[in-house]
Amino acid sequence: MRREASGGRRVFLGRLAASCAGCALAGSRSLEAEPLQDPLAPGSALHGEEGGLNPTPARWFKTLPDGWVECGVCPRACRISEDERGTCGTRENRKGRLYTLVHSRPCSLAVDPVEKKPFFHVLPGSTALSLATAGCNLECKCCQNWEIAQARPEQVPSIAMTPADVVMLAKRKGAPLVACTYTEPVVFSEYVLDIAVAGKAVGVRTIMISNGYVQEQPLADLCREIAAYKVDLKGFDPGFFKRHTGGELRHVLDTLRRLRQRGTWTEIVYLVIPTQNDSEAEARGVSRFVRDEVGPETPLHFTRFHPSYRLQNLPSTPVATLERARDVAMAEGLRFVYLGNVPGHPGESTHCPGCGKVLIRRVGQAVAENRLKAGACPDCRRRIPGIWT
Amino acid sequence: MSGVTGRRRVVAGLAAAAASASPLTRAAEALLPGPPPGPKSAPSRPVVAVGRREGLVLPTGAIDLKVLQAALGAAVARAAGEATAVAAMRKLFKPTDVVGIKVNCLGGRGVSTRPEVALQLAAFLQAAGVPAERIYVWDRTDRELRAAGYVLSSVKGVRVFGTNEDFDLRLVEWGPAASRFDRVLANELTALVSCSILKDHGLAGASLTMKNWYGVVHNPNKLHDDNCAPFVPHLVACPIIHDKLRLNVVDGAIAQCHGGPSRAPRWAWPYGGFLASTDPVAVDAVGRQILEDRRKEVGLPPLAAEGREPGHIAGASKLGLGTADLSRIERVQV
Repeated sequence: MRREASGGRRVFLGRLAASCAGCALAGSRSLEAEPLQDPLAPGSALHGEEGGLNPTPARWFKTLPDGWVECGVCPRACRISEDERGTCGTRENRKGRLYTLVHSRPCSLAVDPVEKKPFFHVLPGSTALSLATAGCNLECKCCQNWEIAQARPEQVPSIAMTPADVVMLAKRKGAPLVACTYTEPVVFSEYVLDIAVAGKAVGVRTIMISNGYVQEQPLADLCREIAAYKVDLKGFDPGFFKRHTGGELRHVLDTLRRLRQRGTWTEIVYLVIPTQNDSEAEARGVSRFVRDEVGPETPLHFTRFHPSYRLQNLPSTPVATLERARDVAMAEGLRFVYLGNVPGHPGESTHCPGCGKVLIRRVGQAVAENRLKAGACPDCRRRIPGIWT
Repeated sequence: MSGVTGRRRVVAGLAAAAASASPLTRAAEALLPGPPPGPKSAPSRPVVAVGRREGLVLPTGAIDLKVLQAALGAAVARAAGEATAVAAMRKLFKPTDVVGIKVNCLGGRGVSTRPEVALQLAAFLQAAGVPAERIYVWDRTDRELRAAGYVLSSVKGVRVFGTNEDFDLRLVEWGPAASRFDRVLANELTALVSCSILKDHGLAGASLTMKNWYGVVHNPNKLHDDNCAPFVPHLVACPIIHDKLRLNVVDGAIAQCHGGPSRAPRWAWPYGGFLASTDPVAVDAVGRQILEDRRKEVGLPPLAAEGREPGHIAGASKLGLGTADLSRIERVQV
């Protein structure tokens, strides 16, 4: 339940086959009748360039002298010369205009429980059609999905899937949610936005699982359309954050403040990495920040690290370390503090802050029992915040 | 002098040059121990040879191949301390090497390593006994190579091809980053020539022989923070490159002092020459100075004043990859 793994290329292909069998890519055709076809074949709904690129005008950028552009999606604000790309590898300057190359080109697709994201206060027990495109604007040393997140779009297989296709597939799969996840949805914000708009029309909600490294304007535009935003906070020490991700912590904190101002449902994940960001002081710092600036009712998930990517030299996080962090956060006044990647631990379940009873009992990514009644505790009637219907 | 620019002529010259190395010489050379891998420690006073010639660039913008051969040959020869380019190549490479000539074609025609230059280097190598089939001219993609005027070749003779996302599956940690490297570089090539161009870069300040290696990893987009300074030196120091790198050449037939890495004709000028050195840091330091001098001539501020100090050059020197101090570099006009 830390940053969820997508499973790599082979898994992608398997999932793709499983998820998309019978899915037509042309919106006007029957979903039931058509087998999965080569989406780039002549006559298909969407054509792309060599390498599976689908250059689509970017929504947030400004032009600069000499044909340069400045990307306006994330705080990196990459200055990009002609034919070059920004740090994420997905946005390219073509003749002085910025294009996203990954719109409608998912490289990973699966139906997951929403608890895997993790969202614990969004339609518990439901499924989310989950997708990603290539690319990320950070480079976390423990990236679980580096084979797609740290790759350029032409380096991973992808298929053509319009926002309408995505929403229709979610409906067919009985998923009330589309989750933009696995890599970093901020880098494919235009696609997220278009999926969210298409989904709203037919009652499919869109949620983002993100590092929160996003500029104010795209965030505002996204918040108008999406249902919920999960932020991977990564750490609470600016030096660690910089070393670990290459980014600046303050921008993520700004995003969390803005999410609160906009009233977008927000959950926060803090991946606890042994010896790196696991001190009591950091747990206390992040807890106070969430309490004071995002709200004490905001779910905070302390999740367990497992060795991955460039952090293969560390052990998995001791459960005791996670429990200590949870104790600190609850002592600081947070109402909903969870443990992740510890299947069967009581810290996976939702407890009523009013009477202390278990409201939603979880085992791993499964909901074993949900006692909520109309978004409230059935025993003491305490209202529990979240998206329940 | 006629403007001989066709690839056919280049290949014909190449064959003639190759013929000058006798089979006996090649056989004997095959038995000799090869040169030490990579410039492990730079000489106390590295040589950067600058071969400039009037008439290199014709009024049409094409290159005079005879002048090219003379200017480039003189620079390569002096860089290795030999009398001729062929002797230089014999000193730096052995016939059993598989030599990769990494060109830079990112900016398209007009601001890319010219095919004539890369193929002339290949001709020198052949004349020194390296079979054509063991010489690869390559860059990131077929598309970029074609756009820069290269004719791709994968069957016979010198191979010209793009990586086209064919990266080795291993993730290699190097300095502050980790990358997957070009599969051919990682698994086939035993010796390298960096053949870049003389141009400005909007983030790194200058894009010369060291930055050229951004084209062999799968994630160059992740390596541009802080003017590229933390990344370039460590990339060049990576054994996959460092242990094979023998020669560094800068194509300055037409150079560009501003507006890079894309083509900006307004800031291009016919420098009319080539730089060569076995020291990648020294050749980049000299190249940078040439760009700075030109910028001053045309009224542009120094790179540092624009926040584009090419810190990777000094950084590479600190890492022991070569010499960045111009007062300790022997800049020789040849």
